[in-house]
Amino acid sequence: MTSGNNLTPVNVLTGFLGSGKTTLLQRLLRSPRMGRTAVLINEFGEIGLDHLLVQQVDESVVLLQSGCICCSIRDDLKSALRGLLSRRERGEIPAFDRIVIETTGLADPGPILYTLLSEPVIRHHFELGNVITTVDVMNARLHLSRNREGIKQVAAADRLVLTKSDLAEPGQTEAVREELVRLNPAARLWDATHEPVDADFLLDVMPSAPAASPARYRLAIEGSRTRGDGAGEPDAANALRQHTEAVSSMSLILDRPMDWTAFGIWLSLLLNRHGDDVLRVKGILCVEGSDTPVFINGVQHIVHPPQHLERWPTPDRRSRIVFITRGIDQGRLRRSLEVFCRLQVAELAVA
Amino acid sequence: MCGLCGVFLGEAHWTDAIVGAAGHGVRTRRHDRLHRVALANRILKQYGMKLSDWQGSAYLLAGQTGQTAIVSSVAAVWSQADRLRKQSIDPLDERLIEFLEQS
Repeated sequence: MTSGNNLTPVNVLTGFLGSGKTTLLQRLLRSPRMGRTAVLINEFGEIGLDHLLVQQVDESVVLLQSGCICCSIRDDLKSALRGLLSRRERGEIPAFDRIVIETTGLADPGPILYTLLSEPVIRHHFELGNVITTVDVMNARLHLSRNREGIKQVAAADRLVLTKSDLAEPGQTEAVREELVRLNPAARLWDATHEPVDADFLLDVMPSAPAASPARYRLAIEGSRTRGDGAGEPDAANALRQHTEAVSSMSLILDRPMDWTAFGIWLSLLLNRHGDDVLRVKGILCVEGSDTPVFINGVQHIVHPPQHLERWPTPDRRSRIVFITRGIDQGRLRRSLEVFCRLQVAELAVA
Repeated sequence: MCGLCGVFLGEAHWTDAIVGAAGHGVRTRRHDRLHRVALANRILKQYGMKLSDWQGSAYLLAGQTGQTAIVSSVAAVWSQADRLRKQSIDPLDERLIEFLEQS
């Protein structure tokens, strides 16, 4: 990821109630890489965080005129971030170089991301880092079926952290893992119980080299990953899938370089009409006129500014995009994108 | 704010980012805007609407009945077009896809 700016990265740590967010945070804060990190938490739990900079924020949401809940400003978060910035500038607190926001279990990540990406002061001083979502293997089915926020938290994740897998029955962890890969193939999975904490893996936006464990770094964006009939799959996986079947993911590979303007027109039109049901768009694009890939990342109506990556992560230079949608015909989505891309070629021919 | 025309210049929308080269490899903001307008009009034509660049700082959207609206970004074009039409443009609409495939 291109860096070289002076923006302070902000990581969002979210996950269901009791899924181990604070425990993970505790472990992460012991890492040398997290030595100069400020932490914003929504509620103090029973687990103490003896970290230098911990501040509580209260949840209050200011809905914008558009009336869309994901495009609303978290006023409490805005105040907390601006306060931290101001105190750092005045030297009242140690100079931190990263912020971690731990959300409540019921938080919709949309307003948090929107606040980080749109509030004028904040977006000129901070940049959004990975969204990390903890998933409790024991209660994943319950949370994914009862909470719309649970699905949104999984869809918004760049890193999915499995917790409590030591308490799970045989096959249960694998079923949850399968379902998470189906729901969000763009996220990378990490089992917190069985693997040592790895701050680099959780915090680096795009690790440059695969690690020893291939499954952990799998970027499952080959072919389409839509809901199957479940035949031959373990019972636990089928049971979990019944609760999440309206949500599906699709991975598209486009052979030809695309026109960024045409893609922007198509995606903005799609989000205008179906933004509530486009839970996530994430991918790297091969754009006409650019030797390096462009990274695109969006959660519902909220789209990060596109970023040029320094290099292609693999020799394959085709555009690869993951869509996580709810109730959208994926065949039609694919056709629509392809026709917009072809439209561009025809337009250029007569220009 | 533009001192000449009084238009407030908002923050750049993500669709306004110049990424790669549009058209014949000429990467100018002006060219990019015209290219964006031309592409958007391929869709708007289906609904009897037309978009034009307005002083390089905004877009002017004209509806079927002559109503016009000034918008700041392409993303805002679609919501404004929905208001003028009183119906939402759906990029997944089979008729629109077929129209674009044949045009």
